[in-house]
Amino acid sequence: MELVVRAVRRLSGFFGIVAAVCLGAACIAVCHMVFVRYVLGASTIWQTEFVLYSVVAATLIGSPYVLAMRGHVNVDLVSHYLGPRARKVLQLFASTLGIVFCVVVAWSGGRYFLEAWTEGWVTESVWAPPLSIILLPLPLGLGLLVLQYLVDIACLITGFEPDDLPDTPPEPPG
Amino acid sequence: MSPLEIGALIGIVTLLVLASGVPIAFGLGFVSLAFLLIFEGPGGLVFVGELLFSYLADFTLVAIPMFIVMGAAVASSPAGADLYTVLERWLGRVPGGLVISNIGACTIFSALSGSSPATCAAIGKMGIPEMRKRGYPAGLASGAIAAGGTLGILIPPSVTMIVYGIATGTSIGRLFLSGLLPGLLLTALFIAWALYYSRARGSAGSALAGRRYTWAEKFGPLPRVLPFFLIVAGILYVLYGGIATPSEAAGVGAMLCLAFVAIVYRQWQPKRIGLIFRSSMRESVMIMMIIAASGLFAYTLSSLFVTQSVAETIASLEVNRWVLMGIINVFLLVAGFFLPPVAVILMTAPILLPIVNGAGFDPYWFAVIMTVNLEIGLITPPVGLNLYVINGIVPDVSLQTVLRGALPFVIMMVIGIVLLSVFPGIVTWLPDLLMGPA
Repeated sequence: MELVVRAVRRLSGFFGIVAAVCLGAACIAVCHMVFVRYVLGASTIWQTEFVLYSVVAATLIGSPYVLAMRGHVNVDLVSHYLGPRARKVLQLFASTLGIVFCVVVAWSGGRYFLEAWTEGWVTESVWAPPLSIILLPLPLGLGLLVLQYLVDIACLITGFEPDDLPDTPPEPPG
Repeated sequence: MSPLEIGALIGIVTLLVLASGVPIAFGLGFVSLAFLLIFEGPGGLVFVGELLFSYLADFTLVAIPMFIVMGAAVASSPAGADLYTVLERWLGRVPGGLVISNIGACTIFSALSGSSPATCAAIGKMGIPEMRKRGYPAGLASGAIAAGGTLGILIPPSVTMIVYGIATGTSIGRLFLSGLLPGLLLTALFIAWALYYSRARGSAGSALAGRRYTWAEKFGPLPRVLPFFLIVAGILYVLYGGIATPSEAAGVGAMLCLAFVAIVYRQWQPKRIGLIFRSSMRESVMIMMIIAASGLFAYTLSSLFVTQSVAETIASLEVNRWVLMGIINVFLLVAGFFLPPVAVILMTAPILLPIVNGAGFDPYWFAVIMTVNLEIGLITPPVGLNLYVINGIVPDVSLQTVLRGALPFVIMMVIGIVLLSVFPGIVTWLPDLLMGPA
């Protein structure tokens, strides 16, 4: 089981890196867009959609990593005042609520993705990229969230504490 | 069930669900799904994926991760140290100058970095020991930093204001300008309290005044700090001038700050840039997921006619508008004790805005009032993040002392809210002057 836990956390960590790269790409593309539009005075073709959907992709596929790092903000006031056993039960309950949401959205998002894929939909712009590629992060990210939740629940039940993914914020040097 | 009863039920269930400790984003999503399923049947769930995606796919939202990257770049550099040094060298010999320079440095740095905890850490690490060394009480020193750190969500560029703009469909440029003077007013109130208290205690630090600095020392770090101001001023200029969209301005601002940090502070190593993007991704994912889920939450409320009924009922009560505003303030204050500002705005704005508009209040003025209320939550228990950050950087000062030191600043914020209510012009004057009346 520990192998599975580690594998899923690695996977979340990998997509966390992909999400950070998407964010970086979006930053660069915004600047390119501003340069083309305001400096060259030309009209832009792909930049707006690229930036928008990179940020959306970063949000959706970065979410499992953030869950693994306990980075999704929550109200942990009640569990603070509970004993270890009651706290565990509450955490299991909270995880169940979370996983139900993720399963439903993953399923609904998966249907939406498949529809776009089989119908060959494209967006309504000059660039017209396939909608299925744009939608892929929705089932992928939510599916990974379900996986991440499952291993979190497994860890809660067995008491296994996985080694942490890298997560140090950049401190000012010195 | 009437829409009002459903609304009350949703409110109670939401509180219970969030109290379980589930991430706010998933908790709001779960409540929405549950109520859609109960009142609209399973057919309502087929489109939740599509809905969630449509709330995320909004170009205005792009400004949020961009401003977060900008803040992370500033926060990861020694700019905070430089800022502190500049103010301390210029103001160190003015009576009470040390407090002024600390609160001032907090104000500026929190506006630049957009992050309360990063501000408390960056300025507090140097400021609190220095203030204590010069005879200021530990409570005052830590309270001043905790309070100063909250100003970033009010003073532009502020992610919290963008979120309000998105939730209510108001102009982000105008919101930014609206927050500027109230932010400075709060800064002045904080300084006033710090000076009054240290005078009253006879610990103004005058006996231990700072040493004299040469002009070279005074001007030395200035060129490293000024460009950040120019970037922020540039962003405000293009926004209120309507020259570029907030997302464009934020993206260019982020790249300029990154480039500046890379060149001047030599933070160009790919690993450091990677760290900046990873921590920005983390923060922006957290906020964006709450935005998407609150979209679903607001959709549920309005498709069950809760939003409309609440607004109609309150309008028909015909209570005095200031009594109404008082109740809303208490409600926001309590919500802010438990929830982060972004979550409170997203969950309550769809319900509150029609009420506030109906009672004849300006939505931009309300944005400022709401934000100040939520700032209070950052320095009050149980979740006052700043208090814990400060407790972490000066472990020898007890949490109780930090808390007691922060309390007078909470009172200053309440006074600020009263002043803004009596003189709403403090909010509206600058945007009206620069952008014309709303």
